[in-house]
Amino acid sequence: MHSSTSNSDLEFARVVPALPWRGVALTVALLTFAAVAAWEIRARTAGYAPSLNDTPDLWAEQRAAVQPDSIVLVGTSRLLFDTDLDVLEHAFGKRPVQLALAGSSPFPVLADLAADPSFHGTVIVDIVPAMFLAPAGSPPMEVSQKALRRRHEWNYAQKWSHRLGMLLEKHVAFLKQEDLALGQLLKQLPIPNRANAQIGPALPPYFYTVDRDRRARMFEQAAVVGSPLQQRVATGWLPLFTLPPPPSFIPADKFRAMMGQAIEQRFKDTTRQINALRTRGAKVVFVRLPVTGPLVHKEEAIVPLAAGWGRLVQENGVPAINFADYPDLRGFDCPEWSHLSAPDSVEFTKRLVPHLQQALSSPSTTAHVAPPAAQPASS
Amino acid sequence: MLFNSLTFVVFFAVVLAGYWTLRSWEARKNLLLAASYLFYGTWNPPFALLLFATTALDFWLGARIAAAGTARSRKAWLVASLASNLSMLGFFKYGNFLLENTRWLLGLAGVNYQPPHLDLFLPIGISFYTFHSLSYTLDVYRGTTQPTRSLRDFVLAVSFFPQLVAGPIVRAADFLPQAAQPPKPDAGRFFWGLLLMTLGLFEKTVLADTMLANSAEKVFGHHGPLASLDAWTGVLAFSGQIFFDFAGYSTCAIGAALTLGFHLKDNFRFPYAAVGFSDFWRRWHISLSTFLRDYLYIPLGGNRAGALRAAINLMIVMFIGGLWHGAAWTFVVWGVIHGLCLVLERVLRAVFKDAKWTAHLGVQILLGLGTYAAVCLAWVFFRAPNFGAAMGLIMAMTGRLPVVGDAILPTRDILQVGLVTAGLLTAHWFLRDTSMEAVVARTPRWALTGVWTVMLFSIILTQGNGNAFIYFQF
Repeated sequence: MHSSTSNSDLEFARVVPALPWRGVALTVALLTFAAVAAWEIRARTAGYAPSLNDTPDLWAEQRAAVQPDSIVLVGTSRLLFDTDLDVLEHAFGKRPVQLALAGSSPFPVLADLAADPSFHGTVIVDIVPAMFLAPAGSPPMEVSQKALRRRHEWNYAQKWSHRLGMLLEKHVAFLKQEDLALGQLLKQLPIPNRANAQIGPALPPYFYTVDRDRRARMFEQAAVVGSPLQQRVATGWLPLFTLPPPPSFIPADKFRAMMGQAIEQRFKDTTRQINALRTRGAKVVFVRLPVTGPLVHKEEAIVPLAAGWGRLVQENGVPAINFADYPDLRGFDCPEWSHLSAPDSVEFTKRLVPHLQQALSSPSTTAHVAPPAAQPASS
Repeated sequence: MLFNSLTFVVFFAVVLAGYWTLRSWEARKNLLLAASYLFYGTWNPPFALLLFATTALDFWLGARIAAAGTARSRKAWLVASLASNLSMLGFFKYGNFLLENTRWLLGLAGVNYQPPHLDLFLPIGISFYTFHSLSYTLDVYRGTTQPTRSLRDFVLAVSFFPQLVAGPIVRAADFLPQAAQPPKPDAGRFFWGLLLMTLGLFEKTVLADTMLANSAEKVFGHHGPLASLDAWTGVLAFSGQIFFDFAGYSTCAIGAALTLGFHLKDNFRFPYAAVGFSDFWRRWHISLSTFLRDYLYIPLGGNRAGALRAAINLMIVMFIGGLWHGAAWTFVVWGVIHGLCLVLERVLRAVFKDAKWTAHLGVQILLGLGTYAAVCLAWVFFRAPNFGAAMGLIMAMTGRLPVVGDAILPTRDILQVGLVTAGLLTAHWFLRDTSMEAVVARTPRWALTGVWTVMLFSIILTQGNGNAFIYFQF
């Protein structure tokens, strides 16, 4: 931008274009208001309703709410969708803090709790082996680390913006960062990629709401088997649960060896973190939540159950609840193969409670309530 | 707080309302001062104390310089100001860099030195406010400005929130005269300021963050060899991203200041239409280039002592200019590349000074594109995490990789970057000899209204992801 001096009292003054500014500004305000209103109507017509965005700020707020003796839920989107906080609060006498993150590896969050010297509460860890063992730098790790960064670097301006943002999100339907933000809208343009392009799979469309406590509920439409949304979400998981090809710049065997080392290190680090927690009197429970359809085999192909879940349970000696081992837990059907519908999540949590109570009543160092040899999911 | 945040929207509305409601000029300035420290303190309150300490010390040293009876004592007070400011900057920004390089140098001499890692938070905007403050003692020493008697006015000059953390680098000598008299309310200036703020936020949130950042991050974060198309796309994306990000911040700052009745000078003038590197630095981060020119290049002797000395001076200035951006040798290399290009350009200008064909439009366009390409190549070192990554990118861009590179960008990203870059270069070229004010003045009202509305609506559509501005880290 160029500016020039004027004949004002100052040595330097910016030029202001001569325009009827009040009229222009008023017209802009009215047009923008009309465009926003039209966009809001379109969003509501498309089925969106006002709800909070599940942002790192919302997560950081929950992390800040963790008390020394809290019950903390750590895991992936399965724990986020499948557990009902009201039911758990009724059963345990205190409201759990929901720290599960969609698309994440829970390991960094577990390590963060282990590094918190004041914490000696209960940690319920949802284990999806492929996510839990995801290597450093992978998207599941980055999701957790981004949330943790926000928690540890959360400044006043970000906190106030978060509160103001929630005020708006409670009333405006189009404020959906994962689906209706400009960047997401551009991603929906049907432009084919180059044949040789190494493009990661796209995430499924937005299909849940979340409240201030981060209790997630699946959209009703997503729970209707055969509906377009259910189809899009369900088929969206398949490429996400398929191992990407090894990178071109490292020989495949070397890459496999590196990954093997990283996974071994993750097993060791997990034991170290859990020992740190238990040394302070904290209790840790592993849970494996319902998964159905083709995802069962996809997950088994990435990390066999015995090699992932089984080994984590065995090496850490923590109480563990695999849904597939209990008839009352394995009868649930995930509409899109990976998560329970909102009504089912309440029922599932009610059935999960006695298992959790039994697990938590056992001495955490020895109580291993899972069968000695964990079996693959039967569903 | 960030300009692109809801907190700032509320903060700014409250400050504007209070500022124009208050009748007393002193009360208004007090309000601006409190608002500026609140603006800064929301990041990390203790660093507001550091900001105040730096400013207060320079206020006192400025008075000492002016009151000094001898040239020697004047110089001593100036050295004190330089030492305090630069040591503060050096400690926070370059402490670990210096220790690490000391370890490396001692290692060459066979000494095994393991320095401690200083676990320091970099006070946000320290490079900018240090220069704001330092300009005062330098100008008082040079005799180009009189010391102010008002600590409050000087503190406000350094901390004025629109320009505090990422520029423009506003010299106290430019700000203090404006603090002497209250500005009269002016609807045109106010709404023009709001339009500039909209433009700045559009550049940041829509063009930099939404259209370009993703491609730049993917390419510069990729660990393997890249296909040539992807490498170029990533570098072009970054060249656009850093412009829209930084120019967007400056435009917001200028606009916000205007709504409060203050006039800040331009920081950018369509730099990607520059023909040659000297032209580029007359258009890019003007407040830094003029700062370095006035306080470093000219005191070093400028071009008064012959071509060789001028070339050495240029290299020194660009070396420091590179280091100012960050504590890493990649920034230094970026600065050195610019320095070499500036020296080369001087040589070429001397050789071809009588060649009329250089003024031909086609030649000018080619030279402009050549300048842009060279600027982009230099950006590789500026953005890359290390020299290995930078060289990998350069080899991919020049098609010299021994293996087939990875194609990692979706076609949509490539199209976005291509469209934005083409629009950016075209706009800069057609606007290079004019001004935004002149263009707006001759734009039909309906078109201006439409463009302003589209920018505002697009900003709302981005839903405020709250990404920090790139230059905050400097």
